[in-house]
Amino acid sequence: MEKHFTVRLEPLGKKIRVPAGTPLKDILFSYGVEFPCGSKALCGGCRIKVLEGEVSVDTSHRRALEKLGLSDPWRLACRSQVTGDVVLEIGQFDTFILADSTPFRFRPRAGYGIAFDIGTTTLVAQLVNLQSGEVVAVETGVNPQARYGGDVISRIEYAVLQGGADELTRLIREKFSKMTRRLLCKVKEVPPEKILVAGNTVMHHLFCGHDLTPMAAYPFETSHGGECCFTAGELGLPADHTEIVFLPILGSFVGSDILAGILATGMAESEQPVVLVDLGTNGEIVVGNREHILCASTAAGPAFEGTNIRMGMRATTGAISSVMVENGTVRNHIIGNEQARGICGSGLIDAIAVFLEKGDIDLGGRVTTEDERLHLTPQVYLTQKDVRELQLAKSAIASGLQILMEEMGISAGEVKNVFISGAFGTFINLENTRRIGLLKFPEEKIIKMGNTALLGTKMALFEEEEVIRDILEKTVHLSLESNPRFQDIFAENMIFT
Amino acid sequence: MEDILEKLTIAVKKGKADKNSPYPPDMKGKDGADELTAEALKIGFSADEVLQKALVKGMHLIGEDFSAGRAFVPEMLMAAKAMKAAMKHIEPFFKSGSVKQKGAVILGTVQGDLHDIGKNLLGMMIEGAGWKVIDLGADTPFEKFKTALEEHPGAIVGMSALLTTTMVNMKGITEKIKAMNPETVVMVGGAPLSQDYCEQIGADFYSPDPQGATAFLDQLVS
Repeated sequence: MEKHFTVRLEPLGKKIRVPAGTPLKDILFSYGVEFPCGSKALCGGCRIKVLEGEVSVDTSHRRALEKLGLSDPWRLACRSQVTGDVVLEIGQFDTFILADSTPFRFRPRAGYGIAFDIGTTTLVAQLVNLQSGEVVAVETGVNPQARYGGDVISRIEYAVLQGGADELTRLIREKFSKMTRRLLCKVKEVPPEKILVAGNTVMHHLFCGHDLTPMAAYPFETSHGGECCFTAGELGLPADHTEIVFLPILGSFVGSDILAGILATGMAESEQPVVLVDLGTNGEIVVGNREHILCASTAAGPAFEGTNIRMGMRATTGAISSVMVENGTVRNHIIGNEQARGICGSGLIDAIAVFLEKGDIDLGGRVTTEDERLHLTPQVYLTQKDVRELQLAKSAIASGLQILMEEMGISAGEVKNVFISGAFGTFINLENTRRIGLLKFPEEKIIKMGNTALLGTKMALFEEEEVIRDILEKTVHLSLESNPRFQDIFAENMIFT
Repeated sequence: MEDILEKLTIAVKKGKADKNSPYPPDMKGKDGADELTAEALKIGFSADEVLQKALVKGMHLIGEDFSAGRAFVPEMLMAAKAMKAAMKHIEPFFKSGSVKQKGAVILGTVQGDLHDIGKNLLGMMIEGAGWKVIDLGADTPFEKFKTALEEHPGAIVGMSALLTTTMVNMKGITEKIKAMNPETVVMVGGAPLSQDYCEQIGADFYSPDPQGATAFLDQLVS
């Protein structure tokens, strides 16, 4: 029988039994850990601390650690395997600022602050020492509203059409207080002055208790998009002097998570244009520089998250997360090294690129195999409809980018950097995003940045309010569908070239 | 002689609008729907023959490919452009009355929704099947449907929605249309729709693809 070992993950407190030799990357990815540089051992973003047991290092791993200034007991998850029982501390959230390749400048301040990222699915909060910039404690959780629908449209539906708005507001505020209270325990003597919260427009409105009716239908314009302040008492927190601020949204479906993302990328100070793309269901896109910033949301749909794909699934154990061709044979990477059960977004992009190369998909997107299926394993395959879903999703993003860049009057060549945010973004193969026509930029310009909402919110803790106001003043929201050429551009970008 | 109608059918199906059009690459430099229609009329085919034996047929073929997943939005749009190029030559005959259209269909994306590509594809298919299409565009309130119905008595109404939050607006509009005249046929479509929902709001027909809607319409006049 195959040998198994136990891996305990801190601070999650999770225990997992895995076969000997399992890459740590596979285990950690399924727990939401991100690999900012794409597992190239370059950024240190996936660093882990070995609390108990042994994780061996080879020469290249040792060299990578030295380069990052890390010594025992630190390891890089992207270079490690399970060879015995271990207890690991996931360093990601503690070290994200440092791990990020963009220098994070901050003016030291007295006291503490909390950065809170409220996602549609997940929640992350960090307690930050404002003197040292160090993250003192992290809390993560699942958004309790998720039981009323996975995406923002179903939350709006529940709030507006089924009268569930108050319930959704209550749920998220309760969870917020709970997570915040745990962080507050760490700094009893000096409660943080400020808690900054970021989230998409729907999360913003539900947390703040604003009516979502305007977001249910065109023109999707809300008059309650501004920042929203609470006292600790209002949210059931014991810290008297703490002010809680939900950051303002940018317009329509572009929320304060993207505002924070703009801050994280340094777009508003850059002379050359910078692009920020969030590859989620709403596919937010921002193009701008220090003069002018344009943003939009695209109806990319959930294909990148594995939904609406016949055998699609989230990036968890059993999902094909990448596909490549080695010596003419298709090879799959399966999370957890188990038998493949389905395919997640990153695997889908790879698979489409591979089948395009093989000629099993023509440039119009038609599947040309005899049974109209594209097999990755005997059990897992893509259908014609899956290819169509991918075409819609990739074209939504590509068309959005094209329209915003045209409006800015810039070409892809003039763009300094393209930042990809979101957990999914960090795992994709950049060459293949180009191959399928999702991101038409040279690979070296694209930077996977992970959770830009959290990073930007954390950076905002050190900034004066003017910095946020400056971004708001520079930013214009565009409705892509009202561009008269939208339909033609959208159709053109569906084709593979 | 029949050969030119076959060529026109292929030009429409493959989306070759005119001779100068670069699409599709394998028909570069060949006559498109524009030239072929002019030629067919010139050598003596009636406008009705050109419409029925070439344009309707070509659109039907691309519609079938679309339903089966063999063709997608770009191919449909190109075919529709080719059809439009051909229709320029046929339209004068509609006006003079020598070619009869099957009836009028009023289309609109429902109030609150801006997504109209699906509705546009349907419009092209219906027009290509020989119907007069009155396209009210996106974000269409009841009042617009009402005005169009008053201008085109007996017309069939088609409504689409892409969001679950805007789909609900179909209910009120359908009820008001039926209150105006219970005989008015209402068809609905769009990603979040279903047969159940169609029945629930009192609409007459639902189809997941444009081909189904065209077949339904043709059956109304057969």
